[in-house]
Amino acid sequence: MVWAKPLPNIDEDNQPFWDGLRRHELLVFRCRTCGASYWPAAYCRTCPAEPFYGNMAWVPATGRGRVFAFNIHRFAFHPGFVDELPYVYALITLEEGPNFGTNVIDCDPSEVRIGMPVEVVYRDVVPDEGEPFTLALFRPASR
Amino acid sequence: MGHAFSGKYAIAGMAFLAGRFPGRTARALEVEAVRLAIEDAGLRREDIDGAINTRIESGAAESRGWTDSYARILGLPAKFYFTVQRGGIMTHLAIVAATQLLELGIAKYVAVGYGATDWSDSHQKDGRRRRSVERSGLWGRPHGDLAAASHHSFFASRHMHEFGTTSEQLGMVAVSHRRWACRNPRAQMHDRPIELADYHRSPMLVEPYRMLDMCLVNDSGAAFVITTAERARALRRPPVSVLGLGFGEAMRDLWWEKRNYTNLAVDTARESAFGQAGLSLNDVDVAELYDCFTMEVILQLEDYGWCRKGEGGPFVAAGSIAPGGTIPVNTGGGLLSGYYMADWTPFVEGVTQLRGEGAERQVAGAEVALVSGHGGEILRPGMCSTHGTLLLGKGA
Repeated sequence: MVWAKPLPNIDEDNQPFWDGLRRHELLVFRCRTCGASYWPAAYCRTCPAEPFYGNMAWVPATGRGRVFAFNIHRFAFHPGFVDELPYVYALITLEEGPNFGTNVIDCDPSEVRIGMPVEVVYRDVVPDEGEPFTLALFRPASR
Repeated sequence: MGHAFSGKYAIAGMAFLAGRFPGRTARALEVEAVRLAIEDAGLRREDIDGAINTRIESGAAESRGWTDSYARILGLPAKFYFTVQRGGIMTHLAIVAATQLLELGIAKYVAVGYGATDWSDSHQKDGRRRRSVERSGLWGRPHGDLAAASHHSFFASRHMHEFGTTSEQLGMVAVSHRRWACRNPRAQMHDRPIELADYHRSPMLVEPYRMLDMCLVNDSGAAFVITTAERARALRRPPVSVLGLGFGEAMRDLWWEKRNYTNLAVDTARESAFGQAGLSLNDVDVAELYDCFTMEVILQLEDYGWCRKGEGGPFVAAGSIAPGGTIPVNTGGGLLSGYYMADWTPFVEGVTQLRGEGAERQVAGAEVALVSGHGGEILRPGMCSTHGTLLLGKGA
């Protein structure tokens, strides 16, 4: 499949997250002291920090969450999205707490509701140029 | 009692250009606006000894990169030139910097400028929308977060969910703005009145937002000259004094306080600005609010306290912000129906009203204007976190 959409920015800060997606693992950044989860990477709000996120670790999330807010794009602001219309772009509140911006797929956009339980699904992308990457999308929860 | 800062500095000159200027660079539009603002103040270019440029951080291709300066092009004897770069609160931050440089006696007359070619950029074949790799620190383009509406609409999504705000009520924001624009001959939509039926016919672009929920796209240049109130009184134009300034940020609350999609970061900004000015909300005669989208107007009406949280929809539906309403909002048509110059749009309208130059749209007896700023996209996972409050007063 030709990838005609924008490519993600993968830099030193978020490389472990994108590496996780390649393994089909959705990672959150967890404090080893209190267990609070963050996405994207952040120093723990409540615990003393060690240098360069020393007390934090990327760990797999459950991959489940609920729709917090969403919209339905009925216009493509980029030619790569013309065939996707209409598509849902949403904030998903992960079970671990953070909000994650992604698409809700595998359902009619008119069926999406705030509070709806959703689960992660992975889409592997091999672009014409550059490294392969994986996107974490969400679909209505199966259970 | 206000702060010693309140009333000490004043806007002495102001100018803007807004429309379609194909073939003009953003820099050229800024240069022209600064030249006009200096003339407006009745000053000579030789009088301007400080220069500040403003930009939106996520701005268009050219404005992100240019290095030449209006101060060089106009030959201004500026002792400093630098850029203040932040979406939606450019004028607010520039005033912080300029007044401190005036306070220290480093400069006597500071010019502040802005230029953008948003319309021209959007009509170029290879514009920034074709950018193939997301810029560092952003999120969402591969998922289709491609335009401001892609994430600003989350505010509408949440407010409609939590408070039952309706599409009709959003439509009344658009209609109210258009009614003001029809009284402003410089507004892009001056000759195009709309009613609710037109709103409902407007194409749905990013549901729940229709085209008429979104601000305009145009090229622009804008500038002002700021000096001490004492010096401004001696110049030819009616001075407009800076009464109070404040700022708010919601980025820290991104994970924890998920109410930040139904509230803008108004609280600290409002308290600072009104505290310095020694004023309360009842003293505000005109509200020039950052209206990139219709919901942002409803949120600010609630957050400032013109109505209670959740009641902004019925408030606008009653005609409260339109001509003849209880609080005149965006009297030049705002970003929705006037012209898109980010926070420069509410700023220039506030100055216009306090100079008493609003003509058909002039609010009688306007003494205090509130100029708000909003934006500063933090695209992880998509919010607009910053807020600025500027209180301006008639005279100096």
